[in-house]
Amino acid sequence: MLRELAENPPCIECGLCREVCPVFTILRQERISPRGLAILADRGIASVVFYQCTLCRACRVVCPVGHDPAGEQVRAQVVAQGVETEANRTMIENIRKYGNPFGPLEEGEIPKTLTCC
Amino acid sequence: MNLASLSALVGEANISTTVEDRIVYSRDASRLEGECLAVVWPSHPEQVAGLVAWAEAEDVDLVPRGAGTGLCGGATPQRSVVVDLSRLTRIGPVDAEQRRVQVEAGVVLGSLNRRLAPHGLFLPVIPGSHRASSVGGMIATDAAGLRAVRYGTMADWVEEVTLVDGLGRWHHLTGEALRDAVGREGVTGFVVEAVLRLAPRPAQRTLSLVAFDDLAALLAQRDRWLADPRLTALEYLNRHAAEAIGWEARPHLLAEFDSDGGEIGDPDRIAALWQARDGLYPVLARRGYPVIEDPQIEGEGMAALLAWLEAEGIPTFGHLGVGIVHPCFSADDERVAALYERVAAEGGRVSGEHGIGLKKKAWTDAAFRAEVQRLKAQYDPHHRINRGKLC
Repeated sequence: MLRELAENPPCIECGLCREVCPVFTILRQERISPRGLAILADRGIASVVFYQCTLCRACRVVCPVGHDPAGEQVRAQVVAQGVETEANRTMIENIRKYGNPFGPLEEGEIPKTLTCC
Repeated sequence: MNLASLSALVGEANISTTVEDRIVYSRDASRLEGECLAVVWPSHPEQVAGLVAWAEAEDVDLVPRGAGTGLCGGATPQRSVVVDLSRLTRIGPVDAEQRRVQVEAGVVLGSLNRRLAPHGLFLPVIPGSHRASSVGGMIATDAAGLRAVRYGTMADWVEEVTLVDGLGRWHHLTGEALRDAVGREGVTGFVVEAVLRLAPRPAQRTLSLVAFDDLAALLAQRDRWLADPRLTALEYLNRHAAEAIGWEARPHLLAEFDSDGGEIGDPDRIAALWQARDGLYPVLARRGYPVIEDPQIEGEGMAALLAWLEAEGIPTFGHLGVGIVHPCFSADDERVAALYERVAAEGGRVSGEHGIGLKKKAWTDAAFRAEVQRLKAQYDPHHRINRGKLC
């Protein structure tokens, strides 16, 4: 179970998170594993790689020290440094302009594609 | 480096020189930092021999990497190209009658044992990193782990290893020749496939957890339990380690049996105790003891070592049934040197299960180094694979 964190313990790089990450288990590349993202975040690397995290936090559930990937904050920092995917930019623009992530819709229209990060 | 020819071998999508990849592949769980020039993800074992030929032509060296859970820098590159074997995940048909299965190197132990469960079988070598560790890495380090007292190490469960050596040659090692790959940490070549022996899954497990007032009583109980054929694990925690996970600040033994040998039979209680034991190192790492060692020593030497570790206030746990202990230190603790001087003086081994990698080269003896050099000359004379590891 997830608990509220008084502090976020740093990643100890054990790698036990790899096999619960739904993105890693498909791509099997360290940079998109929770451990890889933690290493990159620790180095202050601004990269579109952070957009590949689903923010599901399965990694935090199995993490032996309870490290939270804090994907939202990391992504906010990345955006602040001007690193953003086209999909993320479009999604935010749609929300600001049309109040939804899909873009302009006719009354009652069901969107055919979901644009997200 | 000629990346075009590399791309022709494995496909452009399966190589990378991005900053992100070079950073995350510059270290393993040891956190020993090296330099990664590029990363390659082979999709089939057959591609590995081509990679070795490419490395020879380009005059670069290759570092095999499994799950990157090693604790000695065995997968740390030194201006090397890292070959990540994580995509070699094929598990062959389970031969339930002969209790064996063929697997590729990147198969994760947890996945394998889930696949084997319906057959009533499992690979019984369970290192602390069992949820993530790959079979290839376990073979390379001759992993031991929690149940080594009953089931031994990977060497006891590997029937055949397919190795691609430093000249790109294929070897199907069996019998005595397995020693040229098992526990050699990749210095003789890439372990790309293996045939594993399997064990029947016990129908029942029970535990005993006992705290002791003194070391002599603890070691006497250890000897009694070692004589019990039902014993499957025998774990030790000194008082500093026990206190760290909220147990009484006394030395403890945790014993597991494959039948009714222990007094704790409730599955939830058993799971909770193993979870606490599995979480010991991370808890200690978080408390400022991230450096974990793994000497192996028996007899009087073990008793003296445990007494010294306790007196020095060094949190220690381990697989006492096979003489492997894990003292944990702060990053700059100079007593690590004193530890290995004591282990050497008592005739112990500097590594019971984590391997030598880069971290422990200084503690190996001349006979070990000569053996590694002999193997290197035989399998990898140009030092193309895991250069500079072990010696």
